[in-house]
Amino acid sequence: MVFSMLVGLPMLFWALGDFPRRTVLKEVISIVTLIALSLMIGQFFLTRNSRKMLNINSMGLVIDLHKIIGYIFTGVLLLHPFFIVFPRYFESGVEPEEAFITLLTTFSSTGVILGIMAWLLMLTIGLTSIFRNRLPMKFSSWRLLHGILSIVFIIVASWHAIELGRHTDIAMSIFIILLSVSGVLLLLKRYFLNLKLG
Amino acid sequence: MAINSINGCIGCGTCVKTCPTDVIRLDKRTGKAVIAYPADCQICHLCRMYCPVDAITITPDKSIPVIVSWG
Amino acid sequence: MRNSQENSSISRRHFLGLAGGAAGMAALVSMGVSTSWAKNNPEIDIDNIDHQESETDVLVIGSGMAGLFAAVKAHDAGSNVLLVSKGRLGSSGQTPFAKGIFAYDETTTNFSIDDFVNAISSSALGTNNKAYTRQLAEHSLARVNELRAWGFFDSPLYFNSFNKPIEERNITVKERIVITHLIKENGRIAGAAGFSLGEEKIHIFNAKSVILCTGAGGFKPNGFPICDLTHDGTIMAYNIGAKVTGKEWNDGHPGQSKNAAACFDGWHGMFERKPGTTNVEIHHDLGVDLNYKAYMMGSPIKMGRPGEEKVNDIEGGPYVPEEFRNRKPHGAEPDSADSKSRNRRPPKEGGAPPGMTGTIVGGSSAGMAIHKSEGLVPINDKCESNIPGLYAAGDALGSYMVGAIYTQIGSSLAGSAVQGAVAAEAASEYSKSTALPVNSKTKINLIREEILAPLKREAGYSPAWVTQTLQGVMIPNFVLYIKKENMMKAALAYIEELRDHHMPMLRAADLHELRLAHETSNMIISAEMKLKASIMRTESRCSHYRLDYPEIDDENWQAWINILKGEDGSMKFEKQSFGSWPDNQGSI
Repeated sequence: MVFSMLVGLPMLFWALGDFPRRTVLKEVISIVTLIALSLMIGQFFLTRNSRKMLNINSMGLVIDLHKIIGYIFTGVLLLHPFFIVFPRYFESGVEPEEAFITLLTTFSSTGVILGIMAWLLMLTIGLTSIFRNRLPMKFSSWRLLHGILSIVFIIVASWHAIELGRHTDIAMSIFIILLSVSGVLLLLKRYFLNLKLG
Repeated sequence: MAINSINGCIGCGTCVKTCPTDVIRLDKRTGKAVIAYPADCQICHLCRMYCPVDAITITPDKSIPVIVSWG
Repeated sequence: MRNSQENSSISRRHFLGLAGGAAGMAALVSMGVSTSWAKNNPEIDIDNIDHQESETDVLVIGSGMAGLFAAVKAHDAGSNVLLVSKGRLGSSGQTPFAKGIFAYDETTTNFSIDDFVNAISSSALGTNNKAYTRQLAEHSLARVNELRAWGFFDSPLYFNSFNKPIEERNITVKERIVITHLIKENGRIAGAAGFSLGEEKIHIFNAKSVILCTGAGGFKPNGFPICDLTHDGTIMAYNIGAKVTGKEWNDGHPGQSKNAAACFDGWHGMFERKPGTTNVEIHHDLGVDLNYKAYMMGSPIKMGRPGEEKVNDIEGGPYVPEEFRNRKPHGAEPDSADSKSRNRRPPKEGGAPPGMTGTIVGGSSAGMAIHKSEGLVPINDKCESNIPGLYAAGDALGSYMVGAIYTQIGSSLAGSAVQGAVAAEAASEYSKSTALPVNSKTKINLIREEILAPLKREAGYSPAWVTQTLQGVMIPNFVLYIKKENMMKAALAYIEELRDHHMPMLRAADLHELRLAHETSNMIISAEMKLKASIMRTESRCSHYRLDYPEIDDENWQAWINILKGEDGSMKFEKQSFGSWPDNQGSI
């Protein structure tokens, strides 16, 4: 149910929105990117906070899913800047390498700056997760770091997507905002509960 | 209507310079490209081909301005 | 308001509900309905507009192929160069869409240069200037090789390859500046003036010499990417006394009937191709044969595949020299794709020229002459005009390089490169023996007033509307292409009305519209030249066809028509014999 919402809603907004339709390759890239963002926000719900909500009994399964989705779609989103210029390899126009440089150096754009920040944050989250065992920190502090980085990341990434997204219309924006806000609130609630209990 | 829409613009301004007929401008508030003078689009596709993020959509039809008797 | 041409639908009920009210006008404006008759409310603080003056040895105006070589070669000849353009380097005028460039290479052709010049003259019925034809053959390969080194043939987009030599030489480039005036002091060129499209600023350029690389132009026709070309250079030069030629010739490109305005689509992907080179290949193309056929038999005209059917299978019509008949109409833009890129990506429709497949319509390049047959009159083979210090290159120069009909395929782009370089060396040489002229304050102030005048008019005519009216008068087949004296006189009456009554009242609400206002003025003067020169030329030859004078008249018309502004401001005409330089300055 939750998964079909996370995957289905962005696709629905993509399908219903008044966006120009392009080649299959470009649309596939767009959809994959949209779903990736949606699932990344969804990661907030794939934690022990919401195990009951998800109706999954095994905590191990939740964590496994969190990891699998995390690694796959972090990968997708890390490649997302390249995906934007990739179709230029197959059509006439500006060279993809040149387009990529222009893209990364348009510092006048808030959206681009946010995108670069989100990309770096995501890379950090990914690396600190892969090499968690080698980090000189306790699990609880790692989890706190992971949570804080994730909150910062999702705020920056959502802002970036709303600011620059090709398929960002009102519906898509509201979806991203609601999803992000509820995810972040869920996590914050857990932290504050912990603090109180602690 | 010739140049039809701009989606996913990063505001680099390449299209503004590239358009031979000065159809596109950067919006002062958002910093993004807007189709400021669509009637002057000559449907040459240079802006689309130069756009680094492929944000511009162009259709082959053109709306013909209404004819009025006073200038 | 700022875009009176913009279309939008408005419901009748909504319209009636508002029209009576005082808010009606504002509402219409907000809905984008044409309110060209409304009060002009410029969004610009005209009295506080910025002002910038720059100095240089050689000022190059225009940033297409001719402008590129003019700037690079003038720099290499030791001059301080400034390049100013209405658009962007490699992305304005016709250059971005020209995909074939001719290179005369003696190792790959059986034609000697003499043979080549003679073959061009034979197709051009004597209308070509042999000095420029020869110059094209002599210099084209060197220019093509330079372009190759800059990466020109590696991309369908020309900005990078054009920017490479400019950047290496640190040449100043000022883009998106509309030049409206050339400045003359004491009988010689002193600079140019215009305004910026992107910021509220007037630009005055003080220069020892000026090279116009402003291209040719048309009446902003549908179906050809020349809507930024409005003969600006020609008319600015005419206004300060330069001689202009070639207005009676026509480029006869047809367009597709479906989505006639979509020039990208009409050329079937050619704009996306990388450029390539063309070898010696001489035709007698792109005149008005098809226009004649359409005039006699009606539209639509269906074009078969090349060679499938004779284009001119009806009685009469434009004369085509025997040896050039039954050739397939190459058509493709002068600068059509070369054999190499054609092999890589064959064009659709089995090689038929773009714009010539399926059902076609005429006038896609309306208002433009055959490349290089219109523009400033050269007084020698160095691209020099009759105004000391003023040069022109490419389509801005009436060099008659390949005559008044399309002869050598790909010569247009090559000729612009060749002439840009020739003009650059001459202008550089001239600059070295000249002190920087002093612009008089009074003149600058006057020019400033003229530039800004459309912004200051409280009421007037919108340039979009005047342009539309001009197009309606000039573009019809029976006015522009299949010419008759009485019809041209009728059209002239309209154009004179626009010139005398509407041109002085053009108004603009912003910088974009200010550009349109100046462009519209240039088109009106160009239309007057076109009609008057066409009326004067009482014969038919190459791309000029008179229904009332259908024959070639070698007795009276082995001559070009030059146009100049008389002392009293009126338009004067003179004949210049083929094969001679103006003012009896010897034979070519």
